[in-house]
Amino acid sequence: MAQTTYPAEAPASATPSAQTKRRLPLARALDESRFFPTILLGPILVFFIVWNVVPLLWLLGVSFYRYKVTAARPPQFVGFQNFLDIWKSTEIWGLLGRTLSFMVLTVGGATILGMVLGFLFWGSGRMPGRRLALTLLFTPMVLPPVAVGTFFRLIYDPIFGIANFFTEKLIGQRFDFLGSKDLAFGATIAVDVWMWTPFMILMTLAALGSVPKAELEAAEIDRLPWLKRIRYIILPNGKFILMLGILLRTIDSFKTTDLPYLMTNGGPGNKTEFVGLSLYRTGFEAFQMGDASSLAIITLLIAIAFASIYLYVLSYRETRAQLQ
Amino acid sequence: MTPKDLSKEHVALLRAAKAGSLNRRELMRRGIGLGLSATAIAGLISSYRPAPVAAQASPTAGTSPLAGQSIDMTILGIAGWPPSRLGVDMANELFKPYAKEQYGYDVNFSFEEAPFESLFQKAATSLQSGSAQYNIIISDSQWLGALAEPGWIVRLNDIIAENPELDIKFEEAAAIGYRIYPDGSDNIYGFPQEGDVIGLFVRQDLMSDQAERDAYKAANDGEDLPQNWDDWLEVDIDRYERIAKHFTRPDKNLYGTAMQWSKVYDYVSCYAYPFMFSNGGEAWDPATGQIEGIVNSEINIKGLERNKSFLQYAPPGATNYGIGEEVDVFTAGTVATCLQWSALGPQMANQKPGGAPDEVADPSKPVTPDKVLIVPPPGFKQEDGSLKRVYTLGGQPWVLNAFNDEAHQQVAIDFMKFWYLPETQLEFSKRGGDTAVIEVLDSPGYDDLQIHFRAYKYMMRENRSKDFWHDPNYAEMLAVQQEAWNGYMTDVVSDAKLALDYTACKQQEILYDAGRSDIAPSDICSDISL
Repeated sequence: MAQTTYPAEAPASATPSAQTKRRLPLARALDESRFFPTILLGPILVFFIVWNVVPLLWLLGVSFYRYKVTAARPPQFVGFQNFLDIWKSTEIWGLLGRTLSFMVLTVGGATILGMVLGFLFWGSGRMPGRRLALTLLFTPMVLPPVAVGTFFRLIYDPIFGIANFFTEKLIGQRFDFLGSKDLAFGATIAVDVWMWTPFMILMTLAALGSVPKAELEAAEIDRLPWLKRIRYIILPNGKFILMLGILLRTIDSFKTTDLPYLMTNGGPGNKTEFVGLSLYRTGFEAFQMGDASSLAIITLLIAIAFASIYLYVLSYRETRAQLQ
Repeated sequence: MTPKDLSKEHVALLRAAKAGSLNRRELMRRGIGLGLSATAIAGLISSYRPAPVAAQASPTAGTSPLAGQSIDMTILGIAGWPPSRLGVDMANELFKPYAKEQYGYDVNFSFEEAPFESLFQKAATSLQSGSAQYNIIISDSQWLGALAEPGWIVRLNDIIAENPELDIKFEEAAAIGYRIYPDGSDNIYGFPQEGDVIGLFVRQDLMSDQAERDAYKAANDGEDLPQNWDDWLEVDIDRYERIAKHFTRPDKNLYGTAMQWSKVYDYVSCYAYPFMFSNGGEAWDPATGQIEGIVNSEINIKGLERNKSFLQYAPPGATNYGIGEEVDVFTAGTVATCLQWSALGPQMANQKPGGAPDEVADPSKPVTPDKVLIVPPPGFKQEDGSLKRVYTLGGQPWVLNAFNDEAHQQVAIDFMKFWYLPETQLEFSKRGGDTAVIEVLDSPGYDDLQIHFRAYKYMMRENRSKDFWHDPNYAEMLAVQQEAWNGYMTDVVSDAKLALDYTACKQQEILYDAGRSDIAPSDICSDISL
């Protein structure tokens, strides 16, 4: 098809034809080769296969084995037993429930705060020092989680932590934020929201930037109320970028490991023990590679499920229209 | 008379004989005298010179197969843990010249480190790949099984048989805790690097304050605060609680005690076990792998409850306390007493490393060495009225990488021989390390070398300290236990019985599933959760 249409299209413009004549024969051969796209994609495909597909298949394979690195016995094929053990384990269900709660609250909190602040910054284009304020606001996002975890452990310290300095001044009471069964979960969520709200501000600003100016000006002329502008103009145009931000945050939040590890080590008890931390312990403290792999596969499937749900929601109207 | 004097005497005698100024009798008398002096001095020198034993058993310079070679060794040890660092510093400072002279090779030691809670991970990931990246590892004693079972570290029995100088008399707790796997066998996998026990660090300036003594006496029927070592030896856990209660004054930011209650690594376990062990409780039966019915015994339930009761005398946030946090609160003057690893004696007393005993490391801190007394931790009263102390054993062994090539293995063995020379162990002690060699512990003046040595020696002996499991499933068993026990300390778990039942069930399941025990978890374990 391409071969039959190409000669017909070529004379349409004299300039490209002249350029083609000046090209080197090898470049022209490559350009015209039907393998050209494959050649371009080749390196990244090789990289993807070596670093993603092979390890994933390996992970899948190990998940069917009882394999403990520090045991003298060789890996033993157990079929789906590791997955059945997870299914029957009350600890794992508790772990998943806790992780999902953490994910909903952190992503929800960061999204709401990020959108509010994003709208404020969007509408304050002439504010003096706006760029500096934005740079400072984005700082938590670029800090390494190891530093954030360590600093907040000190900030929350019941004796010398600055958080308790303020609570004592304000309500005359000190709290053991990270050691209390009632506060540790919330204290960890607060840090995650603090850290990732800037990301959602960034995504909101990007989403707002993608809204056509003509539509906004029309809304301005029509004196459309703000809420209606958001619903009918901003969200339909910016939803893809916003949903992408939420999707990335959801996946990231679901596998959170570093913050709870540094701040509470999963404690008190198991109050901040999430899937990521449990995976780390199973794989790299207990060296139970079979159990860790099966839990990792389940985590991966959950992440894929989230991504699918978001993509479905994004294209819901189009899908429904096509069905009708 | 020094060897130099002897030499001068010899020259003078020869000159006099040549000049004919001496008669034969005088020449013979002075010659015999000189000969005897030379023999005596030679004897003294040879007894003073280091490593007579090693010199007999080891090849002399130039005859070692490694002579003329240059070898790089890497020791993996615990980050931020002074005794680990000491081992490497002494290897470079003292063993390096010793090896050159004794064996004729050059050696350099480098140090790789990781914190307590991630050292095993660092070691295991390297050893799993068959790597000799770390030639010698300072392991925690509980990891012996996990390192030995896959064949990652060297079984040392044959090496000790070939090198009798490594057949050293160690304190029994160390000889078992740091060396043997499986428990009860005669398989030796480690050499004690650093002995360690739990000690009680006391602000003796507070204890001897007259106003404090009067107030304490008034509140406790005339009972006085302990004033010296002997007084502290008589302190049982009830009296210790009274002392802790007396000094708990949150309005003045002063508290009675600090222990480790954190979920991290083995912190809460190490400090809760003594409340069980000292009353006859156990962690498990190493012969059968039975845990259910042992770790969740009535004695242990009461022990865990008692341990938690001390939280009311500890600073806020104490459920997150580990080693570092305890050093901070004690040296900041926030607590009057503190249960802590004795190896941290100089750090806890704010003593300058390598300095004089009363030299202060950080003058900005209120606690100074002259204010601190380190004594055995409280005893537990038995039915016959006696006091019993069975606390958790700390400390670490050296283990040798099984993937070392011959040259590196030989250097590692030579280093071990050097390490256990009495003079090396004495130097280690002078620098603050805790030796486990009986001969050194018994040497005159040992107790006064460091601020914590008397307490360390006391707790190391007569079964006052013991280790828990060395099983390859150590990490999983520990994780379950830490979660349950810390959960109980923080009220996440409602009662001690549930925390210990959960621990017993999960640990039994781990051993049963791993084929380490024939005893399956009981029916009540099927629906137990925290």
